[in-house]
Amino acid sequence: MWNMFRGKQSSREVAKGRLHLVLAHDRVGLEGGKLQEMRREIAAVISKYVPIDVEAVEVQIESKSRATELRVSSPLPARGG
Amino acid sequence: MGRAIVITSGKGGVGKTTTTCNLGAAIAQLGMSVVLIDADIGLRNLDVVMGLENRIVYHVVDVVKGKCTAQKALIKDRRLENLWLLPASQTDDKDAVTPADMKKLIGELKATYDYVLIDCPAGIEQGFKNAIAGADEAVVVATPEVSSIRDADRVVGLLAAQDLPTRLIVNRISAHLVKKGDMLSQADVIEILALELVGAVPLDEHVVASTNKGMPAVLEGKSVAAREFQRIAKRLIGLEVETAPETGGGFFARIGRALGFSSATAA
Repeated sequence: MWNMFRGKQSSREVAKGRLHLVLAHDRVGLEGGKLQEMRREIAAVISKYVPIDVEAVEVQIESKSRATELRVSSPLPARGG
Repeated sequence: MGRAIVITSGKGGVGKTTTTCNLGAAIAQLGMSVVLIDADIGLRNLDVVMGLENRIVYHVVDVVKGKCTAQKALIKDRRLENLWLLPASQTDDKDAVTPADMKKLIGELKATYDYVLIDCPAGIEQGFKNAIAGADEAVVVATPEVSSIRDADRVVGLLAAQDLPTRLIVNRISAHLVKKGDMLSQADVIEILALELVGAVPLDEHVVASTNKGMPAVLEGKSVAAREFQRIAKRLIGLEVETAPETGGGFFARIGRALGFSSATAA
């Protein structure tokens, strides 16, 4: 709790954060390259319907308990007037 | 009919063999008959941790190949009434034994003995498959470190695919380091692996000394680790025991949690 005042994460928190990320990927069995490939394909599909910046599309795998989910986020432009 | 429990971890060096040795001795102290099987063929170690290395005549591969009966290969631990070891072979390959062989052997042992504890080799290949084949349940040993928990998670997934009930032992935890914020707490490990905890064994130098001597820590006296192994043994055989003392931070951490702004809840 003192770390809150120091504004610095404890090594315990760092370890937790790293584990959540590593395990999310391990559990799905998607290596980095495959994930990027999927990101590009998803971005291409979205851009068929809405004009978007395909580079701004992000995919993330998150793991809580033993459930893992894929999150795709993409900024959508407002319709120009 | 006895019960077979495999002690596994994925990663090596986290204390599987020491845990098997101490839980076996502790269950035997409770009056149950116990056989320990070293499933690490080619790299046997449970014999030296138990201090029984000079008494090996036959081993698990001899039994599987029909060179002798299981009864003949078992080494009786003279320090306890009802503890036996079935050592691994030091010269054979992992594939000298198949999962079907292990299933048959453990089935035979369960007819005579109350508990069969299987010391699983590190890794997730053939040796692992052999070790879990005859088990009724699994205990995953993990130390509070990123690499150990990562490997444990892989193993948990493989055990779940086999429908093997699995529980967790957190090994070598230091309340002092947890409090300082420099070690994952047992609560962190439970949350990440999503397993039921059977116990958290403190980092304890007595265990190092016991291993040097080939004497299970639980036979040596009242070190903190020995007491926790004894509590875990009771839980494993279904006796109700109080849970281990919380090592997840001290007074201030608890106040912080109560107020809802601790690092643990914010993460």
